[in-house]
Amino acid sequence: MERALSSEVAPVTVEDGGPLDNFEGLFEQYRPRIFRFILASVRNKESAENLTQDCFVRAYRARDQLRGASSAGTWLMQIAANLVRTHEASGRLKFWRRALHADVDLSAAGDWIPDRQMSPEQIATAKQQVEKIWKVAGRLSGKQRTVFLLRFAEDMELLEIAAITGMKEGTVKTHLFRALKLVRAALEEQGK
Amino acid sequence: MTQHLSSQQILECLIGAGNPDGQRHARECAACSAEMQSIAKPLAWFRASVHHAGERGMRYAFATGPVLLLTPVSLDRAKRAGVGSLLIHAAAIGLLFMIGANQTVQQVVREQIALIAPDIASYKPAVKKDPRGGGGGGGDRSPMPASKGKLPRLSDKQFVPPMAVAHNPDPKLVMEPTLIIQPDANIPIVNMDVLGDPLSKSMISSNGPGSGAGIGSGSHGGVGSGNGPGVGPGVGGNMGGGAYRIGGGVSAPQVIFKVEPEYSEEARKAKFQGTVVLFVIVDEKGNPRDLKVIRPLGLGLDQKAIEAVQKWKFNPGKKDGKPVAVQATIEVNFRLL
Repeated sequence: MERALSSEVAPVTVEDGGPLDNFEGLFEQYRPRIFRFILASVRNKESAENLTQDCFVRAYRARDQLRGASSAGTWLMQIAANLVRTHEASGRLKFWRRALHADVDLSAAGDWIPDRQMSPEQIATAKQQVEKIWKVAGRLSGKQRTVFLLRFAEDMELLEIAAITGMKEGTVKTHLFRALKLVRAALEEQGK
Repeated sequence: MTQHLSSQQILECLIGAGNPDGQRHARECAACSAEMQSIAKPLAWFRASVHHAGERGMRYAFATGPVLLLTPVSLDRAKRAGVGSLLIHAAAIGLLFMIGANQTVQQVVREQIALIAPDIASYKPAVKKDPRGGGGGGGDRSPMPASKGKLPRLSDKQFVPPMAVAHNPDPKLVMEPTLIIQPDANIPIVNMDVLGDPLSKSMISSNGPGSGAGIGSGSHGGVGSGNGPGVGPGVGGNMGGGAYRIGGGVSAPQVIFKVEPEYSEEARKAKFQGTVVLFVIVDEKGNPRDLKVIRPLGLGLDQKAIEAVQKWKFNPGKKDGKPVAVQATIEVNFRLL
């Protein structure tokens, strides 16, 4: 297990005296972000909870390897991205994912209000657009979705994304470009 | 930079990969800025909704407070569940096999099978003896009842009726006496040398009180109480009881309801025409039964003819005013228009 982890987890530096001593603080700080990313990726709350737990368990076990150039956030996100990829690849929960597909994106779009200053029409349009993007994100391939979410949901820089996914910056750009093209096409289709 | 950005450049700016000039233009040019915002705004909303979903999920997901499980138990819960499910299924299947292998169970199952398939022979309707109809009788007005004896040869022609007492002991042209009975008829066999009525009890030689040659109380050269060259009661040859033949006081049945036969597919294709002759017994109620094909036509027309005639309805034939079963032949014509 340890060996398998070492191949998945790149060495990352300890910052500010080290989350090694304060793993609980690290957990508190990054858990919402990790959970959010995984939830948006797998779109199933149960799976997202499990994977978030798994992510921190793996991080804790491999905490000795937290040496290198990146931040702890990048390192954790790397583990999360790997877990999401494994989860997708397993295909074990495909049926359930399909069955429960609507439970996250629709509820998220349901009671979420973009801006209280907007008129009801504008809110409705905005919600429709957001829903479109959720749908497009659901149709993206695993790599594209990960990159897309990291960039536009987590506001990460291209280099950071490249470090997390283990791709070259150019590859990340290509994936983002294709994903954005689909998003734009969906939005234009709705605008018509 | 006066030129507007292409749509590709705008996407690059959104990604964060655009060159500095392009980024600056996007900020300064109203048209390009608006185009960029048309995608950037929904993306920002999307980001907000993802954050919202995350917060909402967190609120319910970890409602019990942060629990960091460091034991491997939490790992691969689904995998354990899968293995557990496999074990339960294997156990269930194993249990079924074990039950199947049990001697007592097998015994019980075997007994049940015997119960499921009972002997229904006793419930089957008894096969009726084929009543072939007709009959015959004869005699020479002797005061004695006909004597017991064997029947002569069965044939489809009769030249000389059988006689128990020969009136012409020295004929010029010797003909073997015969009875007109279908060769496959189930006739009573009597192991005697002399001719006579097999059902009689009298052993004294006599042709019986009937008339018109033959043996018995009937007439017209047969054996028995009937009228004709056959055996037994009934009319017009053949053997004992059953349906009468038309004629001799027996009226012909009348068709009341008729169904035209259908043409079979093959016959229609072959443009085949002709007549099927059917043998039928019209019973006392006027229903046809015991249909047989006497003159077949083939190409499925025989079957079609039988099917049609089976649906016919008759006014039954009558003897002495009472309806009786009568045998008849029906010609079914198949003609293409």
